[in-house]
Amino acid sequence: MSKIMTVDVLSSIKGAQPSKAVSRLFDVIKNAQTTNNNPFNNNHNNCVSLNNLRDDVVVESSTLEKQIIKDNFPKEKAGYLVVSKVIDA
Amino acid sequence: MESQIQQIHQQLVDKKISCVGLIQEKLNALKENTHNTVNALLSELALEKAANVDAKIANGETIGLLEGIPFGVKDVYMLQGTYATASSDLLKNYKSPYTATAIQKLLNAGAIPIVKENCDSFGHGSSSENTIFGAVKNAVNPELVGGGSSGGSAVNVAKDYTIFSIGGDTGGSVRQPAGYNNIYGLKPTYGRISRYGLMAYASSTDCVGPLAKSVEDIRIVLNAMSGKDTKDQTTYTSETIEESSILNTDDIKTVGYFKNFIESEAIDAQIKEDFLASIEKIKAKGIQVKELDFFKSDILVSTYYTLAMAETASNLSRLDGTNYGDRIDDKDLKESYAITRSEKFSEETKRRIVGGNQVLSQGFSDEIYLKGLALRDAISENFEKDFEAVDIILSPVTPSTPPKIGDSLKDPLAMYLSDAYTVGFSLGQLPTLTVPQGTQTGLQVTAAKNNDELVLKFANFLKDTI
Repeated sequence: MSKIMTVDVLSSIKGAQPSKAVSRLFDVIKNAQTTNNNPFNNNHNNCVSLNNLRDDVVVESSTLEKQIIKDNFPKEKAGYLVVSKVIDA
Repeated sequence: MESQIQQIHQQLVDKKISCVGLIQEKLNALKENTHNTVNALLSELALEKAANVDAKIANGETIGLLEGIPFGVKDVYMLQGTYATASSDLLKNYKSPYTATAIQKLLNAGAIPIVKENCDSFGHGSSSENTIFGAVKNAVNPELVGGGSSGGSAVNVAKDYTIFSIGGDTGGSVRQPAGYNNIYGLKPTYGRISRYGLMAYASSTDCVGPLAKSVEDIRIVLNAMSGKDTKDQTTYTSETIEESSILNTDDIKTVGYFKNFIESEAIDAQIKEDFLASIEKIKAKGIQVKELDFFKSDILVSTYYTLAMAETASNLSRLDGTNYGDRIDDKDLKESYAITRSEKFSEETKRRIVGGNQVLSQGFSDEIYLKGLALRDAISENFEKDFEAVDIILSPVTPSTPPKIGDSLKDPLAMYLSDAYTVGFSLGQLPTLTVPQGTQTGLQVTAAKNNDELVLKFANFLKDTI
């Protein structure tokens, strides 16, 4: 596969083409002036501090939750979700 | 209008109405309505909860303020056991396995969800026409759009089908339909309410937002949903906003407005005139008004959509028919993904996914995506400086009045530009409220980050001023 992928491949949408309306939005960005060209040099990120990370715990789903998840995928074989044939790399 | 929540609460406590009667009346009205606001009625769940409230009252037990109050939920929220379609073909049969934190908090307070509400598919749109359930019709004039993306939620409140509704605001999706239907709609400070269980569109600006007919009802619902949630690490701990604290408006001294919003060629002449008349009335109350400089509207819109499309391309990549939603099988997994996404996503959603992948792809990311991030920082810094000079920023909600149904779909760029006045505040993650006064589509009240209380306070001031 080519290193540069087209937008239809990237988006998994058949025959997808860039839109003129969207391209006009991008043109505005390209031509805009900003005093700060380094996006990593800012104080506005909503970062979570190391002391504030949530505990890494496994939470058991309720029986109802498990049942609804199964109901959302009616195709089943031997208790497993049926997936199409896996593609080769 | 006074608080409908408090009025109904008192009527329930005084046994002037029954909760089952109230819920049934609202369900009937929703069922008969011709505005296309309903994706699913939650009749069985709602009537069961209502019977429990009636039983409590009959037993002489105390009920909470929100107990028995009927509300609507935009169909992008999880509510266990109900359909969560996002008004899309892809998820039209998808059932929520769990409940969103914001909705769970309302359930815990006793409020009763009665309807999953029509909206633009995945929040993609400014008119609520991008939906498989039919275009939402405006509450005031059904030939016009309901506004988007939380159009069904806004129309239900405006038509009294729900007492309040929970929408979702990314670039203006609560504030704009609130303005189009003459009600209040709040985008709180980003992180005040947990996004857990809200389908992700653009995660850095997605907010849970209430719509209602009074400032007081917005305050009550906001308090009920706010708070830190371990399931959404961007949430923060916030103080409860007391009723008494938003009634005294003496400490508001200065108001600003962006002169380029008002001097723009794109603004409707009547909206401009009405906005400036509102400014004069505020000045007459002794408040100092300052003109502020800001980024051009087209830069705000482009920055917002560039970042939002990048985030939605990433967020919606999980919707491939295998992890979520209906699947169309094809010769292999790759083709199955592609055909499912091609057939099941709407044109607007596909346009945004493709745009997002363009932005994030090799050769584009530096000159567009990274530049967009830098512009967002510059916009945020601009807001920080502004709020050193003024307490509140006031603006029209939209540059023009609601379009006719069908017109927005013809011209996507015009639809994106209709968000010119709402998207900037989203990029700043600021609390912003639509007030149904001042112009035909209302006024937008914005304060500094975490200052949601001041926004509600100023809305109360406007009630007596305009």
